[in-house]
Formats: sequence, C-alpha cells, structure tokens
Amino acid sequence: MICRFNYRHMANTLSLYRTVKRLGIPDERIILMLADDMACNPRNNYPAQVFNNENHQLNLYGDNVEVDYRGYEVTVENFLRVLTGRHESAVPRSKRLLSDEGSHILLYMTGHGGDEFLKFQDNEELQSHDLADAVKQMKEKHRFKELLIMVDTCQAATLFSQLQSPGVLAIGSSMKGENSYSHHLDSDIGVSVVDRFTFHTLAFFEKLNMYSNASLNSLFNSYDPSMLLSTAYYRMDLYKRALNEVPVTNFFGSVMKTIHTDSAYTGFLAAHDAELPLSVGNNILDHVMLQNEASARRSNIEEMNVSFSKFCISFI
Amino acid sequence: MMMPPSTARRLCFLSLLLLLLLLAAAASATADAAAAEEFTEELLLRPLPDRKALAHFHFRSSAPPASAAGRHHHLFPKAISQLVQKFHISELELSFTQGRWNYEQWGGYDPMSTNNAKPPGVELWAIFDLPLAEIDATWKNLTHTLSGLFCASINFLESSTAFSAPRWGFKLNEGNLRYGALPREAVCTENLTPWLKLLPCRDKAGIASLLYRPSVYKGYYHSQKLKLKSSQSLGIILDQTLTVVLQPNTVSGKQLHSTGGQLQPSWSMEHLFSKKLSGKCLVSKSSRVFVEIEKGIVDNVDKAGSDVSSNNDLFVLSTAPDRSLKELDNLEVQSSSLYEYDVNNYNSDKPLNVGITWKLPLIWSCTRAPYHASRFLMGSGNERGSIAMSFLSTGLDKQLVDSSNDCSIKAVVFQVVPWYVKVYYHSLEVFIDGNSKAISEVVDKIHVTPSEDKLLPGTMEMLLKFPCSMQLATLTLDFDKGFLHIDEYPPDANQGFDIPSALVSFPEFNSSRSYPEADPLFVSPLLENFKEDGVVKSYTEVLLVPLTTPDFSMPYNVITFTCTVLALYFGSLLNALRRRIGEEERGLKKAALVRELQFALLQSQSQMLRWSTIYFFCWI
Repeated sequence: MICRFNYRHMANTLSLYRTVKRLGIPDERIILMLADDMACNPRNNYPAQVFNNENHQLNLYGDNVEVDYRGYEVTVENFLRVLTGRHESAVPRSKRLLSDEGSHILLYMTGHGGDEFLKFQDNEELQSHDLADAVKQMKEKHRFKELLIMVDTCQAATLFSQLQSPGVLAIGSSMKGENSYSHHLDSDIGVSVVDRFTFHTLAFFEKLNMYSNASLNSLFNSYDPSMLLSTAYYRMDLYKRALNEVPVTNFFGSVMKTIHTDSAYTGFLAAHDAELPLSVGNNILDHVMLQNEASARRSNIEEMNVSFSKFCISFI
Repeated sequence: MMMPPSTARRLCFLSLLLLLLLLAAAASATADAAAAEEFTEELLLRPLPDRKALAHFHFRSSAPPASAAGRHHHLFPKAISQLVQKFHISELELSFTQGRWNYEQWGGYDPMSTNNAKPPGVELWAIFDLPLAEIDATWKNLTHTLSGLFCASINFLESSTAFSAPRWGFKLNEGNLRYGALPREAVCTENLTPWLKLLPCRDKAGIASLLYRPSVYKGYYHSQKLKLKSSQSLGIILDQTLTVVLQPNTVSGKQLHSTGGQLQPSWSMEHLFSKKLSGKCLVSKSSRVFVEIEKGIVDNVDKAGSDVSSNNDLFVLSTAPDRSLKELDNLEVQSSSLYEYDVNNYNSDKPLNVGITWKLPLIWSCTRAPYHASRFLMGSGNERGSIAMSFLSTGLDKQLVDSSNDCSIKAVVFQVVPWYVKVYYHSLEVFIDGNSKAISEVVDKIHVTPSEDKLLPGTMEMLLKFPCSMQLATLTLDFDKGFLHIDEYPPDANQGFDIPSALVSFPEFNSSRSYPEADPLFVSPLLENFKEDGVVKSYTEVLLVPLTTPDFSMPYNVITFTCTVLALYFGSLLNALRRRIGEEERGLKKAALVRELQFALLQSQSQMLRWSTIYFFCWI
C-alpha cells in the first residue's frame, strides 16, 4: 500500500490496511509505504491518531501498526524493487514482497496523479509504462498468480493503461480527464480526511466479515458515479476468471478454514503397515480435495498448496 | 544367537555407564536451567519542577550464555539473540527520541538524565567483537536488519558518510565502536509496536499495558531505548526503557493556594495514562512501581520540619508504599528518596493507581551538570558560517569542588559533522569570559578525523580544561558549505540539513547513586542502573544548516528548450532541403490540365452517347 503526502492519502491507505488486517492478512504479508508522518506530526492535534471520518470514532493508527517504508524511503526505485524483488542482499525480509506463483496480490496506491503517472515525494513520478514493465517482470519471475491494482488518484485509469500481463485486474477511481475528489472536510483537524473512492470502498467492506461470499463484481458495481463524482473504471481484459465468481477475500482477506477435530492423528499409527499408509494418505488427500471443491471461497491458495504438498511428502 | 556371558557383562557395564552419563548430563542440564532466562519490569514516576511528570519504564530480559541453554528461548526475544550472534555484538544501544531534554528544568546530574536524555531522532552505536577490517560491512548489515525490525529508516546509516568511529570522545574503545545518528527521523507508534513485541507479555499485561499511545506521543519528550550487553560469561542482557515527560491532565492544575502560590497539579497514573495497573506480567520475576522524590523536595520537607515519609506536610502519596529507600550522597546526607510498590499485591479487582497530592505550593530545582552546553550557528549566506559551542556555568562546581587557583574542570566534546559542512579545524578559537585564550591553555587533547567529500564525515573529539571560576566559555569553528549532486538532495531540500547533536561529558563527575540502607536481597535492575558508575553527559541541540539548492526545474527546462530549438532547426532544414521553387505551381497547373482533359473526355463521351441513343431511337 502506497500513500503520498496529504492527510487524506494517509487515511486512505491506513483504512485499507486496517480492513485488510481485519479480514485476516497478517502484518508479515503486508508492505505498507507511507511517505509522510502524519500521526506524530507536530501539526496534528491528535498525536498517534489518524481518522478517516470527522466523527473520530475510529483511530486508524491504532496500537499495532507496522510501516515498512516511510519518509524518504518511499521512492519510485524502492517501489519497483519491492515489486520485482530485486533488492540488495542486506535488505531484511520484512521489506521484501515474498510472493510466489500461487499468490494473490493486492496493490493499492493513492496520492496525487495524472495522465499516465503517479507522483512520489514531490520530486519524481511513477509512469504507467514503468508500472507495466514491473508487472511484466513479476509475471516472468512467477511472482504472482493474480494481481489486483487499485488506484485512487486523479485520472487513475490511465496509470494501468499500458498493462499487458495476464492475470491482472485493475480498477481506478477516475478516467482520463476526470479528477477524484475528497469526501469531506474535518474542521477539527483542518483537512479533508478521506477520498470518495476509498470511502465507498470501505463502506462496502465494513459490511463484510472474513467469511463473506461477496464477489469482486459486487464491489465494482457498488461504485456509483454520482456519489464518486467520477467514473470508477476497471480493466478486466487481462483477467480470465469471471468477476462474479471471485470472492473479494481472495485479495482483501486471508481465509483459513480450520477444522476442529477430536479424533486422533492417524498418520503415525499405521507407520509399520505397508498398505494402510497409502489408504490413509489417500483419505486425507481426498478430504483436502473435498474441502477445496466444497468451499466456494478458496482460502489463501499459497497456504493450501503448501499444506497439500506437506501431506504428499509425509506419506510417500 | 546367544551372547557369551563375558560380552553380556561388558554390555551391562557399558549400558550402566551410559545411564550414569545420561543422569549426569541431565543433572547438569537442570543445574544450567537454574541460570534461566529472567524478565523484570519496573516503572518510575517522578514529579518535575515545571509541573510536569516523568514516567520511566524499564524492562530487562536476560538470557544465560548460549552454551548452557542452546538456542531455545522462552522469555528472551529470539530476534535479539539472533542479531547478537549473527553480528558478533558485544554492546549496542539504539534510541528513538522526540523532543528535547530540558536540562535546566529536569536536571542534568542524576542517572536518569545521564542515561535517558538522548538526542532527537535515532541514535545508534555498537561495539563489535570482530577484526577491525570486517566491522564496517557488519555495521551496514546491522543497520538494515534494525531498520526492518523497528520500522525506521536506520538503513540510512549504512553509508560511510553517515557513521563515525570515535576512539575516546564517546566511549573508550580500541576501534571497534561505530556511532551514527539521524536527527530528522520521526518516531511514532510503528516504532513502539515492534519494541513492545520483544517483551514476553507485549502490551497486554503488566506495566507495559499502561502505554496508551496518544498519551505517550502527546508528551513533551519521549525516548525509547534498547540497550544490550553480551558476553560469553554473562550471556545477553537486554534493557528496554521508555522515558516520557507528560503534562498530567488534571483539573486542579491551576488552583491558587491560600498562601498565594500556585499549587502543583496533583496527578496519578490514571491521569497520565488513562488506565490503572491491574496486575503484573505473570512471567516476570518482579514487577515494581517506584515514585522518586528528588533532593530538592526532600530538602524542602526537611526545612518544613517534618519527616520524609509518604505522608507529610508537603505532599501525600495516594497509596501507602511497600518500601521506602533513601539515597545518601557522599556526605551521608539524605539526597532523594524512592517509594516502592510491588505490583504482585495488586490485581484487576484491586488495581494500582499511584498518585501524588500536593498540600503546599513548592518550588524546587533539580541538580544540573556543572556546565550547560549549547550549540548554535553563526554567520549568514550560503557560502560559509561558524559553529559555536557555549558552556555556561550552573554553579554546581561551587558546591562540589573547592575553588582554589589551579582547580579545573574537564569536559570532553564529541561532534560529528557531515561532509558538506566543511569545518576548518585550524580556525578553532576559545573565549573564556569574553577573553580570547590560546588553544594550548584550554584544549588538553584533540583528535580530529577530517571529512572527505562524499566519503567521510568530520569527527572531532576534544578534551578541554576549564578553570573553576569561569562563568562562560565559547568555542567557535569556521566552515564552508559544500555542494551536493542533484541526486543527493532530499525531496524537501529547502528546509536545510542537520548537524547531529554533539555530546559533552564531564569525566570528573559521577552520576551514580547509592542506597546503602537497602535490603541486600532487594534486587532491582533499575536501581542497579542507578548505582552504576556513569559520567555526567549532556547533548547539545541539533543544528539546521541551509545549503545552496539548485533550481530543480532546470533539467526539465533544458530538455524542453533544447527539443524546441532542435525541432525548429531540423524542421526548417528539412523543409528547405525538400522544397523546389515553383514546383508547387507547376504541379498545380499540371493537375488542372489533367482535370480539364479528363472533363473534356467525359463531356465528349457523354455527347457521343447522347447522339448514339438519338440515332438508335430514330432508326427504330
């Protein structure tokens, strides 16, 4: 998640960060880049607190926030390094995107942007072809299975106009020639606290919990141009699956279905019997397969793959 | 097959021996387990003379030497032990600070200000147990690891322009110490979150549960520090401290007392943190809250004639303490006192809410360091300037040292200046009480590592000797401002560039405290730190140096202008080369002629068609 510069951009990013954590993604799977320090800024009347609503009911900064890149470290170079995974050897794991070919990645960017660019730190830009090249590299290096890019800036749809890699879905808050607007002004803090597109995205997610079935289609259809004062444009020509079959928790949450069982773990009991392990193994494999087919929402696919292979290895 | 009886007996004997060995190993293992990991938590509260309150959280985790316990930890954070092992660290201190320690009001002589008054931003120093050639590379990796661990940009200290290797100005060492500071680093909840995750109870139970983030970050000064010491014999000792100076939000703060003075605000833990303490962290060996009453208040209480207890004429503590400790100074006079509360006795049904209620208005002051050191810039313009450091006597020396003629007070100054502020060390001038003095009279020892452009910062370590009767000393150094490459400017280049705080220490003054009447079985890491020998230190201000900045729009202007000129030039050139004079007219004429012919042809064709149809019909 990348945030740039104004209070409301920080609030946008932190709102989405909070939503994504609430729906199950842990901090070690989130890379948060905040370009400026708003919460502990001397001009902020509410230290260590960031609000996205003038009712001040929710402190987005909370007690448990972990920012991976902040201040002067939020540069186009570092952003592209995170995407492509080309870091110096000393860079720690918490600052790397450790994804593989089974991962679903959500990339959310907000800030000031324009026709085919997004501004970084007031002195450089990320251009749409740079982003497209980085995504192409990611695809070559098998760093994602599906990627959802969400952009909340002015003329946001132009930022992903150059993308060509398959498996990428992108939505922007406005089309070429349109501005994206902030939602409301908080007269206590003195600045606008959230943008319209993000506000409506959050309104959609606040109704959900970790096990909801809502699809991406319903998310994308929930954007009303008259409320946003701009047209939320999405690009699905590179994405093979139908949007009404993809649950939002594929990107915004991480669902681990845990099955509580009181029965003993039968794997080791049949260790010395040559025939039984196979059947037991098969049973467990089938069990896993059934779970896969039965649930419409797929849990974090990476996790499933790993656990599947774990079972495979232990019984061979 | 049956085994022969002699072999059987031998086997029996061997198995017995093995069993004995196993038992011995188990016994030693349990004996080593006795040297187990420990965790203690303590909180110290102290009222300050300017109506604020100081809260100092102290958490100590210790792990026995690695050979005894192996790599398994149950209390000690694994991240830290891995850090120590991977980078061969023998001592490390990392502090995140916002705000400036007010030495005039909050003291400069006690162990609290000596150990916990840190320069703003991030300060990191480490002593490595490695050959000198490998230390720089290890430092670089260490800064990256710490930046990932604590969510801060500590990796900016990796390049050689950002750190220095002082020999004696900071801490006496043999060249394996590295020091770096980032004055402009922001400190917020994201730095506290991983720091708290190193504690066994996190912020869910025990003293750390008091840390209400908005209170902490609303304070006038907050500094979180991580200090670790590692050795083969003692294992690893990790001290995590958080020092906060808060303004208690009480209604009674502005009351006027009947005597005419303004009463200090009476506060309690609930006023400071919006919560009470409902029990200790269950895995901690001990959990205590201390209230420290400074020497200034104790003297006032003595003057008022009452006994220094928790309930006297001047103040009363809201809860009766479990223990009180008196600190005695070197003249065996009571200096300050500590009241201790054992959190073991409190739980969620009976939470602990320590507070102080003042009965009479009181003005007192904290003991200060012998000189108040401050630093400022002189000069104007973007070409050159001067750094000036002033030492103002606070009168302490009058009390402590006899003012005979050859009495002198030593001060050690350690300063690191980035390479783009090119200091001319030969221009050092010293003024004592307004009179210029020769350098040899005042400077006993000086060690300078001059800066190299884009490679090294300039490090200066100086040992000064001031006469005891001196009131004010000033040192000045001239510098030239350098130029940076356009890529080296930060995005907000017009704000200026920071020179990190200088450290001034007074080696003849010891800030340690002694509590001789304390029970020898009463072991408290906080008091151990207070009793440790430490020189009185103070940090100066951070300086902001405006440098010349280029016009950042010039690359864009140059490209646009050049492209326009080239377009005009090549456009007109190609136009001129391609065009033939009059060709256009001829071309037009030809086209017109062709069109006329075509028209005529068409006309004749249509006429012929007409005549042929007429003849045809006529014929019919």
